[in-house]
Amino acid sequence: MMAHTFAQAWSLVARWYSIPLLLLVWQVAVASGLVESRLLPSPGRVWTALVTEIGNGVLVYHGSVTVSRALTGFLLAAAVGIPFAAAMARSTLVRNLFEPIFFIGYPVPKIALFPVFTYIFGIGTPSKIAFTFIECLYPIVVACYFGFRAVQTRLIWSAQNCGAGRATILSRVILPAALPSIFSGLRVALPVAIIVVVITEMIGDSIGLGYYITIWSTRFTFANVYAAIIVIGICGLVLDQALLLLRRRAVYWEREGS
Amino acid sequence: MKINSASIQNWILPVAAVVAWEIFGRAGMLPRYLSFPSAIVAALWELAVTGELLVALAASLYRVSAGFVLGTVFGVVVGLGAGIVPGIRHFFDPLVSFLYSIPKIAFLPVFLLLFGLGHASKIAIIAFSGFFPVFVASRHAVLSVNKLLIWTAQNMGTPERKIFFRVVIPAAAPQLFSGVRIGLAHAFVVLFAAELIGSKVGLGTIISSGEEWVRFDLMFAGIVCFAVLGFVSDRILLAVRTRVLKGQMIGTEEQVVR
Repeated sequence: MMAHTFAQAWSLVARWYSIPLLLLVWQVAVASGLVESRLLPSPGRVWTALVTEIGNGVLVYHGSVTVSRALTGFLLAAAVGIPFAAAMARSTLVRNLFEPIFFIGYPVPKIALFPVFTYIFGIGTPSKIAFTFIECLYPIVVACYFGFRAVQTRLIWSAQNCGAGRATILSRVILPAALPSIFSGLRVALPVAIIVVVITEMIGDSIGLGYYITIWSTRFTFANVYAAIIVIGICGLVLDQALLLLRRRAVYWEREGS
Repeated sequence: MKINSASIQNWILPVAAVVAWEIFGRAGMLPRYLSFPSAIVAALWELAVTGELLVALAASLYRVSAGFVLGTVFGVVVGLGAGIVPGIRHFFDPLVSFLYSIPKIAFLPVFLLLFGLGHASKIAIIAFSGFFPVFVASRHAVLSVNKLLIWTAQNMGTPERKIFFRVVIPAAAPQLFSGVRIGLAHAFVVLFAAELIGSKVGLGTIISSGEEWVRFDLMFAGIVCFAVLGFVSDRILLAVRTRVLKGQMIGTEEQVVR
């Protein structure tokens, strides 16, 4: 029993030791003056900055701005992209019309279009949401398109054989069969949403975590910059886990491969 | 390409969009910031004649390729190491799983201070952000190599080293390439943001200075170059992959996306 607990504790240490180790190296490097503490403040100071800025609500405010923008753009892209991908997979005309736009446009770095978006939608929230929408739309449409196309024809035939109508086949056969691909598309798009919102906030805005990072780095207060980076990381982790939870609920018959 | 109804339908939307853009833009019915295609081509010509385009293109290309190569090499080497040696895996896994969800561009202010406004800071941040997807993909690729292949090779008395080069690497290659492709996409996003936020030369700078001088044709010329650069490098990567992975891609999604 003792040995077992000990082995468990040891494997926990072996798996997670690198984070405390790195924090320790960081602390020692700062304390010994090896790195400039203005550029890389000690973990303690970053922690203090994190606690105070969350306590007084500043980071909470900027974080909620960033997350709500990212989520709005992402959800819009999902709401438009999934039905659109289904239409592309089911209708030859729609596929022929839009295939080049999605497959040739896929590797094009769309970020370069951001200045145009700021002219059309202004510098605030609408341009961020619109741009997040476009950036998320591509991975969602491409992944879902393949998901809808890969639905086995014999499943549809058997459903037709049992007398199912078109609507029933769509909602009870095609959609569930494509659900794993839909979720993998969503999982690619979700971090993209956060990245895009942060970048565009860094380029130009007056609210949001990206703005917060820019403003505190111009004031050389890097403890706050790292605090904001930590908040972004936590938001990303939480959103990803929420999506995984949703996937486990929706695709209950299949476990995540990795 | 054969001319049939499918390929005609493929071209309808893009061509219609460009023609409409040209007609309405010339007639002055679009906002000025949208410019129009022939003006953009003229601006491209103007930039090319003055040699400005070549300088910017060279700077951007140098940054993105150096950063991408650095990040990819580190990602592949460390990722393969982590896939094979449990010690390396346990060291990097917690770090990567936390840093992965953070947009690496958030570290740009730190990199700018560390490496200055020149090439070095861009190369470093591009390499930093490219490292993660490549690392994750190659680590995962090695771990998911079919054990039967390795056992078979061992059974025939193949030395460890040869197993690594002749069994593990070829089996891991397809996943590895998809990680590298994501890394390339990240490289261009980061390049754009880095050039827009702090740089003196490059395509991003052409775009932002076009905005400042209210020369929207110049801005679009920069955008077009940036998009083409991203697109062409993705296609080069795909061509390399097709070369390397002869016969491994039959029936996969990527073979369909052309």
